[in-house]
Amino acid sequence: MISTYRAAAVAALAASLAAGPALAEEPIKIGLVLPFSAGPYVPLANEIADSLAMAIADAGGAVAGRRIEVLREDTTHKPDVAQAKAKKLVFEDKVDMLVGPVGSNELTALLDFANQSKTPLLIPNAGDNEATGERCSPWVLRTSFSNDQIVREMGPWMVKHGYKTAALIAFDYAAGHQQMDGFKRGFTQAGGTIVNEQYPPFGPISDFGPYLAKIKEVKPAAVFTFFAGPPATALVKQFTEFGLKDQIKLAASGWLISPLNLPGEGDAAVGVLGILNYVPAIDAPENKAFQAEFQEKYHRIASEFAAQGYDTGKLIFAALQSLGGKTADKAALVKALHSVTVKGTRGALRIDPKTNNIIQDIYIYEARKNGDRVDFAILDKIPAVQDPPNGCNL
Amino acid sequence: MDSGFLLLQLLNGLQFAMLLFLLAVGLSVVLGMMNFINLAHGTLYMVGAFVGFAAAERAGSFWAALVAGPPAAAALGAVFYAGLLRRMQQAGAMKQVLVTFGLIFVGIDTVRLIWGDYEQTLPAPSVLAGSVHILGQVYPAYRLFVIALGLMLALILHLGLERTRLGAAVRAGVDDRVMAASLGLDIERAFFAVFCLGCALAGLAGVVAAPVLEIYPGMDMAILIPTLIVVVVGGPGRLAGAFLGALLIGMAETFGAVLVPDFSGFMIYAVMALALLLRPQGLLPARHSS
Amino acid sequence: MSTGERRQHIVAALLLLAALAAWRFSGYAGEDRLGEIAVWAIFAMSLDLLVGYAGLVSLGHALFFGLGAYAMASLALFLKGSPSLALLAGVATAGLSALAIGAIVVRLAGVFFIMITLAFGQMGWAYFLRARAFGGIGGMSGVRQIDLGRLGLDLANPADFALIAIIAAALVYLLLALITASPFGRMLVALHQNEHRARALGLPVQRYKLAAFALAGALAGFAGGLQAQRTGFVSPELLVWTTSGEVLIMVILGGLGTLVGPVAGAAIWVVLRHILSDMTAYWMMAMGLFFIAVVLFAGGGLMGLARPRAAADDA
Repeated sequence: MISTYRAAAVAALAASLAAGPALAEEPIKIGLVLPFSAGPYVPLANEIADSLAMAIADAGGAVAGRRIEVLREDTTHKPDVAQAKAKKLVFEDKVDMLVGPVGSNELTALLDFANQSKTPLLIPNAGDNEATGERCSPWVLRTSFSNDQIVREMGPWMVKHGYKTAALIAFDYAAGHQQMDGFKRGFTQAGGTIVNEQYPPFGPISDFGPYLAKIKEVKPAAVFTFFAGPPATALVKQFTEFGLKDQIKLAASGWLISPLNLPGEGDAAVGVLGILNYVPAIDAPENKAFQAEFQEKYHRIASEFAAQGYDTGKLIFAALQSLGGKTADKAALVKALHSVTVKGTRGALRIDPKTNNIIQDIYIYEARKNGDRVDFAILDKIPAVQDPPNGCNL
Repeated sequence: MDSGFLLLQLLNGLQFAMLLFLLAVGLSVVLGMMNFINLAHGTLYMVGAFVGFAAAERAGSFWAALVAGPPAAAALGAVFYAGLLRRMQQAGAMKQVLVTFGLIFVGIDTVRLIWGDYEQTLPAPSVLAGSVHILGQVYPAYRLFVIALGLMLALILHLGLERTRLGAAVRAGVDDRVMAASLGLDIERAFFAVFCLGCALAGLAGVVAAPVLEIYPGMDMAILIPTLIVVVVGGPGRLAGAFLGALLIGMAETFGAVLVPDFSGFMIYAVMALALLLRPQGLLPARHSS
Repeated sequence: MSTGERRQHIVAALLLLAALAAWRFSGYAGEDRLGEIAVWAIFAMSLDLLVGYAGLVSLGHALFFGLGAYAMASLALFLKGSPSLALLAGVATAGLSALAIGAIVVRLAGVFFIMITLAFGQMGWAYFLRARAFGGIGGMSGVRQIDLGRLGLDLANPADFALIAIIAAALVYLLLALITASPFGRMLVALHQNEHRARALGLPVQRYKLAAFALAGALAGFAGGLQAQRTGFVSPELLVWTTSGEVLIMVILGGLGTLVGPVAGAAIWVVLRHILSDMTAYWMMAMGLFFIAVVLFAGGGLMGLARPRAAADDA
C-alpha cells in the first residue's frame, strides 16, 4: 500500500507534467525542404524560404508563448535527398509540418512520405494537377496553385477579346502539357481554334528559332505559352527578334514575364499578356506592405514565388493561432489549415477541404512601358478560382 | 514547308552550328592532340559569359564582353594547364578526365559565389539589336552576326593551321606526336598555345551565345554534351571535322525539332551513337591512329 | 590468394563489421544513411568489375541502375506482381539490356567507349523524362516493398532495410570476389592489361568484355531495384549521366580494381555529401576539390593508401 505522502508526491508530479509550463515553451517547428544549393530552382527556393520567414516574423514569431522555428533542409535538387531530409525533419527534428517542394521532380517523393508518415505538408509552389487531384492526400495541402487553376480562364478571356486562333508552345513535360491542356479546353469551348501545338524537349538549350519559324508559318492570332526561368527570357526576346511581335499577340502563364525575368527581357516584354495568381501591381494594402518590406530587405521586386512563400507563412500562422499553438494533433492542424481565411499578398486565400488546393484570385495583366521601366497593368481579376475535385476524394 | 520557313530554319541551324563550332573546335583539337577530353570545357564557356557580362556591365557596352571574356577563359585554361595538366601527363588519360570532372563542380559553385544564382543578361549591342529582312523573312540581326563571326573564325583558324609555323607544328603533333617531337618541333609549346586558344574560343562562345541563350549557373552543363557530340561525330583533331560535325548537329537539332518533335529529345544521342559505331574516327578523321 | 586479394578480403570483413556495428547503434538518420550507402556500394562494385577489372570506362552505367529500378517498379505496379519477382525481373531486364547494348558497344575502346556509353545513358534518360507511361519527370511512386514479414522484418523501417541491404552488399561482394578470382576473372584482367597479347593467345576478347558488361549491368540493375525498394519511387534522375559520373567517382575514391574500395568510396561520398550540404550551400565546390585532390595525390584511392608502396595504378 502506497503511503499517503508518496501518493501525494506522485499526484503532484503528474499534475505538473500535465500542466507542463516547460512543454509550452517548446518551439513550434516548420521544416522547409527546398533545393537551396543546386539545380535551376535555387533562386525560387530562397525567395520562398525568406518570405515565409518574413511572414512569420511579421506576425509576431510566436503563438501562445511558443516560438516558431523555421528549419531549412537542402534537397540539392534530388528527389531521394528530398525524401531523406524530410525524414530527418520529421523523425529527428520532430517538426510539426513540412513545406516543399519547388519543382515537380521532388513532388512525388515528398507527397508519398507525408502521406505515409501522416505529416502535414504544404506545397509552396509545384503545380502538378494530380497532387490535388487523383493523387491527393489528406495530409498534403497546397498554398500555391494548380496548373489548371492558373490557365483555364485565359482561353475564354482571349476569345472574348478577339483572339480566335492560337498556337501553343511549352516544354514537353507534365507541367507544360497540363498548362496547355487547361488553356486549350477553355479556349476551344469558347469557340477558339488551336492551329498548332509544339512541345520542345525539356532540355537546357533554349533556342526557339525553329519553333518560332513554324508558328510564323501557321499565322495564329495569338500564341499561348508556359516557360519559366532562363528559357522564358529567351522566348520573349526571340519572339520579338523573329518579327512575330507585330503580327501575333504573345500570352502566357505569368512566369514568362516574372519580375525575375523582366530585367533580361527589357522592351521585348512590352505588350505580353500574362495570367497568374500574383502580380506585383496588385493594389491592396497587404501587397503594398509586402512589396515595400521585401524591396527594402532584398533590393528587388518580390516575385510570385516570394508572394507564395509569404502567404504560406501567413496561412500557417493563422492556423496555429486558431489552435492556440497546440500542434500535437496533426489532424487538427490540417483541419485548422482548412478553416482559416487570410488576406494574403494575392487577396483573400483559403484552402479547399475538397481538394486541399488553395482558392485564390487569378489576375490577367499586360506588361506596359512606364518611362524607362516595364511594369504591369492589371486588366482583369477572376475572384476565388476554385478547382473542381477532378479525381480527389477527400 | 514553304521557302520562307526553310530559309529561317537554315539560318537557325547555321547559327546554332556556329556556336557549336566555336565550342567544339577547341575541345576537338585538344582531344586529337593530347587524347584528352576536357570535361570542364563547358565551365570555360560559362566563365567567358559571366566575365564578359561583368565587363559589359562596367563599361556599358557589349563589345567589352567580347574583349574580356575570351582572355579570362584562356587565362583560366593556362593556369589549369600549367598547374595541373602538365604535371599529369604521366598519369594517364582517365585521371585527366576525372580531374576535369571535379573541376565542373568547382567551377559552378565559384560562379555562384561571385555572381549569385539568378540569371544575368547580356543584351546584344544596339547596332545589332534589330531585325533584318532577308528574302521576305524577318531574322534577328544578331544571329546573322553570330553566323558571320563563326565563318570568319573558321577561316582564320584554317589559315592559321595551314600557313603558320605554329599551325604546322600542331598538325604534325596531331598526326604523329612522337615523330614530330623527334623532328625537333617544339610540340609542348604548340600544345600549350593551342590549348589556351581552345579555351579562349570556348569563352568567346560563351559571350557570343549569351544574348541568345542567357547566362546562368548551369549553362556549362547545358552545352557540354552537345559539344561532345559534335566533336565525336566530326572527328577529333581536325578543324574541318569540328566544322562539319557542328553543321550536322546544328542542322539535325534545328530541323529535327520541328519535323520529328517526338523523337528530337534523344535524337542527338542516337546520332552520336550511330557515328561512333559506323565511323568512330569521325566524319573527317585525323590521319593518325589513336 | 594473392596478398592484394587477402588485403581486400580483410578490409571487406572489417567494413562489414563496421557496418553492422553502425547499424546496431545508429539512430534513424544513421540507418537511413546505411541503407543508402549499401545500395550505392552494390552499384559501385558492379562498375568496378567493368572499369577496374575489364578496363572498360563507362559513363553510362546508370542506365542499367535506372532500368533495374524502373522495371522493378513498373512490374510491381502495373502487373500487380509480387515485388520480389519484380526485383528479379528488374535484374533480368538490366542484364539483358546490358547484353544487347554491350554487343554493340564493346568493340569500341577508350574515349570512344566512354562516349558511346554516355550516349546510351542519355538516351535512356531522355526516354524516361518524356515517357508519360512511366510518370515523366516526376517518376512513379507507390513502389510496393517486398514482404519480409516471415523474417520479422519490415522494409519500410530504415533499420530493417539497412540490414537487408548490408547483407545484400556482402553477398554481392562474395559473388564478385569469386568471379574475379576465377579463371574468367583472371582472363578479364589479362586482356585489360594487354589486349593484343590476349588476342594473340586466342582469347575471345570481345566475348569476355561482353560478359563483364552484361554481368555489371545486371548487378547495377539489382542495385537499382533495391533503390526503388528503399525510396518507394523511381525517377529519371536515376539514369542521368551525372549519376554515372558519381558512381565512377566512388569507384576511384575507393580504389579501382579492388572490389572493396568502391564500397568504402560509396560510404565516403554519401556521408561527405550529406555533411557538406548541411554545412554550406557551396558543397559542390568542396566535393569537387576533394575529388581532385584524391585523383592527384591518392590515385589508387583509399585502397591505394592502404598499400605499403604506391603501385603504378593506371587504368
